[in-house]
Amino acid sequence: MPIYEGITTEKLHVVIDIGSAYTKLGFSGEHAPRCIIRTEVFCKKTHKVRKIYDYEDKYDLYDLLVDFIHILYFKYALISPKDKPVVIVESLLSPTQFRDVLAKVFFKHYEVSSIYLLPSHLVSLAGLGIETALVVDVGYKEATVIPICFGLPFVHSWQALPLASQSIHSNIKTLLASENMGMVDINENVLEDIKVRCCFVTTKTRAQSWNETKPTITPCPDVEYPYNGKSSLKISGKLRETVYELLYVEDNDHQCLSTMILDAILNVNLDLRKILAENILVIGGTAMAPGFKSRLKEELYKQLKCTAYEKLKVNDFKFHSSPSLDNYTAWLGGAIYSHTELIQFKSISREDYLRENRIPDWINLKDNQISLL
Amino acid sequence: MSSKQTPKISSGALVCGDNKMHGDITFGTNSIVHPSCTISAESGPIIFGDTCIIEEQAKIIHRVPFYRTDKNPVMFIGSNNVFEIDCTVEAAKIGNNNIFEPKCFVGNKVTITDGCVIGAGCVLTDEQVLPKNTIVHGSGCKQREALDQPNPQFGLMDTLMRLLPNYHHIRKPIKKP
Amino acid sequence: MAYIVEPDVVRYACMCGLLKPISRLYFCRHCLHLRCGFCVCHEVDSLFCGKCLENLPSTEAKLKKNKCSNCLECPSCHQQLSSKAATVAPKNPEDPKATPKKVIYLCCLNCRWTTRDVGIPDQEVGKSGWPEHENVHTNRLNAIMNHYKKLVLKEKQQQMDKDKKQRKYTTSLAERTGVTASILRKRLGMTELKNPLLEADDLKPAVASKEIVDSIEHLLTTPIKLNDITTIDQRLKLPDWQPTAVDKLYPVHKQLSVKRSLRCRSCEHNVSKPEYSPNSIKFKIQLFAYYHIPEIRIVTVEPLRIGKQCELLIKLINPTQHQTTITILPLEHLDAIQQEDTKVIEDPPETKEPLSFQLLQSSLTSHPRQINAKVGTDVSIPTSSIILPARDDAAEYDDTGETQNFQDDPKLVVFRKSNKAVIKLLVAPMENLELGEEVIAGFTMQHVYTSTIATTTENKEPQKFDHKMKIYLTLGTLVGSQ
Repeated sequence: MPIYEGITTEKLHVVIDIGSAYTKLGFSGEHAPRCIIRTEVFCKKTHKVRKIYDYEDKYDLYDLLVDFIHILYFKYALISPKDKPVVIVESLLSPTQFRDVLAKVFFKHYEVSSIYLLPSHLVSLAGLGIETALVVDVGYKEATVIPICFGLPFVHSWQALPLASQSIHSNIKTLLASENMGMVDINENVLEDIKVRCCFVTTKTRAQSWNETKPTITPCPDVEYPYNGKSSLKISGKLRETVYELLYVEDNDHQCLSTMILDAILNVNLDLRKILAENILVIGGTAMAPGFKSRLKEELYKQLKCTAYEKLKVNDFKFHSSPSLDNYTAWLGGAIYSHTELIQFKSISREDYLRENRIPDWINLKDNQISLL
Repeated sequence: MSSKQTPKISSGALVCGDNKMHGDITFGTNSIVHPSCTISAESGPIIFGDTCIIEEQAKIIHRVPFYRTDKNPVMFIGSNNVFEIDCTVEAAKIGNNNIFEPKCFVGNKVTITDGCVIGAGCVLTDEQVLPKNTIVHGSGCKQREALDQPNPQFGLMDTLMRLLPNYHHIRKPIKKP
Repeated sequence: MAYIVEPDVVRYACMCGLLKPISRLYFCRHCLHLRCGFCVCHEVDSLFCGKCLENLPSTEAKLKKNKCSNCLECPSCHQQLSSKAATVAPKNPEDPKATPKKVIYLCCLNCRWTTRDVGIPDQEVGKSGWPEHENVHTNRLNAIMNHYKKLVLKEKQQQMDKDKKQRKYTTSLAERTGVTASILRKRLGMTELKNPLLEADDLKPAVASKEIVDSIEHLLTTPIKLNDITTIDQRLKLPDWQPTAVDKLYPVHKQLSVKRSLRCRSCEHNVSKPEYSPNSIKFKIQLFAYYHIPEIRIVTVEPLRIGKQCELLIKLINPTQHQTTITILPLEHLDAIQQEDTKVIEDPPETKEPLSFQLLQSSLTSHPRQINAKVGTDVSIPTSSIILPARDDAAEYDDTGETQNFQDDPKLVVFRKSNKAVIKLLVAPMENLELGEEVIAGFTMQHVYTSTIATTTENKEPQKFDHKMKIYLTLGTLVGSQ
């Protein structure tokens, strides 16, 4: 990339996507985030590194966010936050308390000039250039599905289940404990490394044969994972293949990742169902596992045959691939949106926030009143 | 098996005087042993290959783990190995062209092949065979594979051969019959 | 002075309510209050590279994406890469003109990664430019960004046209008289100027496909080599690529570092401003509390027992160039004064004002948080004050005896030396403490601060102020009861 691309007078705004496990930070108009870092910070009270989403109360969250945003600006973005706009990509289903404290930290502590809040499911479509799609976000804490039709999120048909990396990590932990004797408490980062390097999502037929009492298939080879130089963990082939199975095991309400997607399609108008099923976009870091998307497609076709979804009248599922890697697709959408002039019209300015002392929220009736003009 | 055996030093090897040596030790040709290192052949003889460099305060100890039942265990160390300052190596079998960086610890259950680099401060105790050209580094003993073996440092060896006799007593090499 | 590693025994209460040791506090000499890192406003002062210590102006840093162009980081262990030289034999050994070339390759000293591991060819000396990885989707993303910009501009234009229609007088003076730029261009024969962004474009929207390229066949049979797969940290250093194989890890340019200047939020004066040069560790403005506020160190404390008056010896050190008088007051003294002040402020006019400066000011110092320390002792307040002379840097080399004659209460002041004094306080742990619990003592210290602000008035005497602050001492655990 040439260094001098013409002296741009366009302003660069900081675009942040704070996820439960990783935070994506970059500037508007760029094609990839500058850095993807863990959403954790060294807490001065307990002298330990803590995940920000494991906060105890809003005061604790305030302090953690102040420290974290300090690191974001002065170590990675390298600009002063004061009197500059900031763009935040957030999930429509993010907890109100987190949003409110985040806005308070930005406006009152860091004195930014405005915040431009973007819903992650909606802006993920910006990279594709389309207006209608079913966005499936499989992150760390939960998997959420929200259909976007003609540029509007249909929030009434939201679906969310805690079937994501966090549950996969605890699954790895329990399976490892049964295979390795005398195992001491394994760090979350080590579990993540095992998941990323060794595990993958297997095909439906193999998964079904693993479920039988006497599996007849040959498992994939085992892995000896060196752990700190002092011991090594044995990761069996069965573990490598079957960790991700919990995403497709139906719980007591007969819900799993595939039913979630079909339920979201069902809750939408008849005319839009076919369009949504043929425009599925999968985002989120967990979706980058090898074999994830092809297994999802298999599961969707299998679920179609269930009696519950007979009225769905959908025959094909088609998937989009974004011009980005899945773990920063939402961030890229934020970068595209904030590159336009929308940021001047739609952001919440500091004066507005200090006057109202709140940020607009889609669940709040106050922000949903139809104006009579 | 007296513990007061003198080490067998091949011709061309440079072994400084004041270091602690116990047991049956054989040094290959062109080896350089700095002063104040500890080489202890407790459970059996140690045989070094050619052109090994053993620096100050290095501890090379032949200590067989309790479950090994060999009658006469011998610690074989290949050629072109470098044992840097204050490393502790107890591995029973070491190949060629390895580097043991300062303050590393290699336990007696580890087998080291050729071209490995054990980084500074790394502690390796698990029973394993390190594949060829593995580099162990970092506080978590992360491993990665290198393209090829580390280069032997000829310049360093020439300098040491020239300078060490000026400042230290040297043990006389014993010519093998 | 082991403030970095030892626990914080003596802590001062900052104006925002946090407790910090003196080494982490700043003193704003304009509003005469203690400030800490939390309640002070941080700003980026200058950017530099930590390895080559090269200063970069902020505009250049924006273009280079906050990365140093010369220094590279190892993709395997994230340490700095250093260059190593090697010689390459000439291609034609018989040709007398060909000389052995010197080439450079990069090598990491920590994990011994080299550029040769990834296949990057060695660079010749003098030609710098290690290959960079380009984002595959650059063209498509540029097209998408332009498309959305045009979309928003069109909408804005439509909105402006709608607004124009609603206004009565739509023609401007220039249009009525016929001297607009577009008419002039037509007269001169030039083409019409069109806004390039408003031109129609056809962006092909993405097409979903039924096929998914996601095969796991190779994983089922071949055993994996862990050393050949990248860890997640290694992948995230290259966000736009995130390679899974180790032989595709390219070195990354080193991130720049920042020098911060700190500013007091209420009076907008700088509290700390470092020098511009990255080589220098000095400060242009250095209002650290350590140089302006008397320091308290605990000398000894008797083993604490409930109800019993235990002796506490503390050392007071005056770091300033002026003499100061220190008075110890009870902890609640400062609260009483603050309550009186707020009563005065609490009767503002009730008319709705436009957002005043005070509201825009952060509420960090106007609504400080509760101090998080459970005081468990009663401190007996001494009646007299202690005068501490100014700090004299030459005194340690001067062997003549001290000529100070301070009328000290012998029960209060135990020892004196130049600008230091050791005083004795009596503390009595309260009844409600348990054995083995940490005991915290607190009091208010008042000292006379002589302002160092250069005054331009005729008055040559620097102004003196009484400055009060709360101090909390962690005295150790309770040993026994009476």
